Amino acid sequence: MFNNLKLSLFLAYKSITKGNKGTLFLTIFILSLIFINLVFIGSIFLGLTETINNQVINTLYGNVVIEPKKDEKYISDVSSIKQKIRNIPGVTGISAQYIIGAAFSYKDKSGAWSVRSINPDDEITVTTTHNFMIEGEYLSNLDTDEIIIGKEIAGGYGGDMEHLSLGGLKTGETIDVLFNNGVKRSYRVKGIFDVKFIQSNLNAFISQQEMESVIGMENSASQILIKTEDRGNEEKYIKQFLDIGIKEKINPWPVYSGIVKNIISSFDMIAMLISGIGLFVASVTIFIVVYMNTISKRRQIGILRAVGIEESVIINSYILQALFIVICGTGIGLLILLTVIKPFFVANPIEFPVGFVSLMILPEKVSINIISLLAVALMAGFIPSWMAVRETIIEAIWGD
Amino acid sequence: MIELDRIEDTANLLEVRDLSRFYTMGEVTVSALKNISFDIKQSEQAEFVAVMGKSGSGKSTLLHLLGLLDSPTSGQINSKGVNLLDLSESQKARFRLERFGYVFQEYALLPELTALENVYLPAMALGKKKEEYIKAAKEVLEQVGLGKRLYHRPREMSGGEQQRVAIARALINKPNILFADEPTANLDSTSSKQILELFQRLNREIGLTILMVTHEPDDKKYVSRVIWLKDGELAEQGM
Repeated sequence: MFNNLKLSLFLAYKSITKGNKGTLFLTIFILSLIFINLVFIGSIFLGLTETINNQVINTLYGNVVIEPKKDEKYISDVSSIKQKIRNIPGVTGISAQYIIGAAFSYKDKSGAWSVRSINPDDEITVTTTHNFMIEGEYLSNLDTDEIIIGKEIAGGYGGDMEHLSLGGLKTGETIDVLFNNGVKRSYRVKGIFDVKFIQSNLNAFISQQEMESVIGMENSASQILIKTEDRGNEEKYIKQFLDIGIKEKINPWPVYSGIVKNIISSFDMIAMLISGIGLFVASVTIFIVVYMNTISKRRQIGILRAVGIEESVIINSYILQALFIVICGTGIGLLILLTVIKPFFVANPIEFPVGFVSLMILPEKVSINIISLLAVALMAGFIPSWMAVRETIIEAIWGD
Repeated sequence: MIELDRIEDTANLLEVRDLSRFYTMGEVTVSALKNISFDIKQSEQAEFVAVMGKSGSGKSTLLHLLGLLDSPTSGQINSKGVNLLDLSESQKARFRLERFGYVFQEYALLPELTALENVYLPAMALGKKKEEYIKAAKEVLEQVGLGKRLYHRPREMSGGEQQRVAIARALINKPNILFADEPTANLDSTSSKQILELFQRLNREIGLTILMVTHEPDDKKYVSRVIWLKDGELAEQGM
């Protein structure tokens, strides 16, 4: 057994080191490209998913959302809740918001959108909208007659819902807002933002002080957004919030991803399909390389069998050669990915409609790709060499 | 693996009985060999047998059958009391490795291996220690006159030299019989003479039994017996 393996290794080693170097390098190069393609496509989709998730957290909901109790419209005693939450380690931001529907009118255009109220000092600890003003400025606490709006409401910035927008509203202009409770106000547009996420760009913000005068309430909120220092531990924080006596409904951010969750699931499926096709291409490539190799060495295989070398030794030598090609191909591919492609995309992320997307190379996904390719190498090395040793010795040595 | 313990010293090295080989091509059956019977004896003076006959007479087919490279349609091949046709494919492979040596017309060396590596490969397959098989390979290459060409690859050697490497490879495991299929067909007359003289020397000096297919009538002078084939049948035995 051990001797047979030694002999297979010897034959594989000689074939690799003394065989045609050009073919070998070309094959390894093709395999490295196949591996890069496999990892790259999966990583782009993961990066896309990551960007969407980050957008949901950073521009809409934070990590955890507190909502009113069942059958209640607003959260009451917000300052007390905020105080309790602020003391929990890991909480880095809290922002209470009122949300109310409103009809916007500007010249002959009108539309219905949500208006959120914020305390700007609190809001910037949770969301990043303040970093994405494309015109004008972000709100300040004292602003009572001003509003900031997303580009999908303003129009004129090439948004995806341009046809429903106000058709080119600019900073400094005034719009009329009729809130759902019947209160009508005029606001000067202080700024327009574009966070590269359509759902966020459909919002408008006014100050907390202004909203309280519109709805005639104080110390209440439609929702409280909480930002934590880490992602993935939302349930742990929720448990702590419940432990300190918060009775309101508390949900982690994925509960609000809605359609985004479906899009992400679709991306995952597409990524799996593409990986499957990539693996199929890889297996066909390795199969063809080993098959051509065995065909060209058919006579040699016959000679080896004639002198008494066991078939398993010959098959194993081809499997070892296929494994060598795949190991080198994946190794070089991984090196190129980690030292060239990943740093490039980190420095130059691609601008997608949902935001800037970079590669997200996860070790577990890379490991699965490597293991899959190794399994493919085993099969693609085995089948053609097994077919070659099925021939009679006479056919192999003297056949056409 | 093979029950060689029951081999009797007195048994023949090869006993061939009623050996036939038919090939079916579509609906036509072609007879390549018909009822061939002969013995190759195990004696103090090893035999050097030439199988001769016209092209298509079945010489190579006979050699392939005796060398366990092909299977007969009917008949028996015994070696030292072992019915070789009863062996499984892997037992046949082991038997070829341990007991038989082969020299083919086209040298049949592995181009990626040096002369030394080509020669020690069968010994390595037997599981011998590295120092043992390298030493044995060097000795046998010395024996065939290639002591100074150990690290050359086949493409760096002449046809005659390559054939001598093939002979050295066939000898490395000290076979009972050496099968040679027209070993000089691709060589010039000088190289052919060297190869045949080498065979003769190995036959006489180390007692190696050789069964050689040849179409050269002149080769008769090197051998101890000739088996003549005509249209797949044994026509004559003797000198």
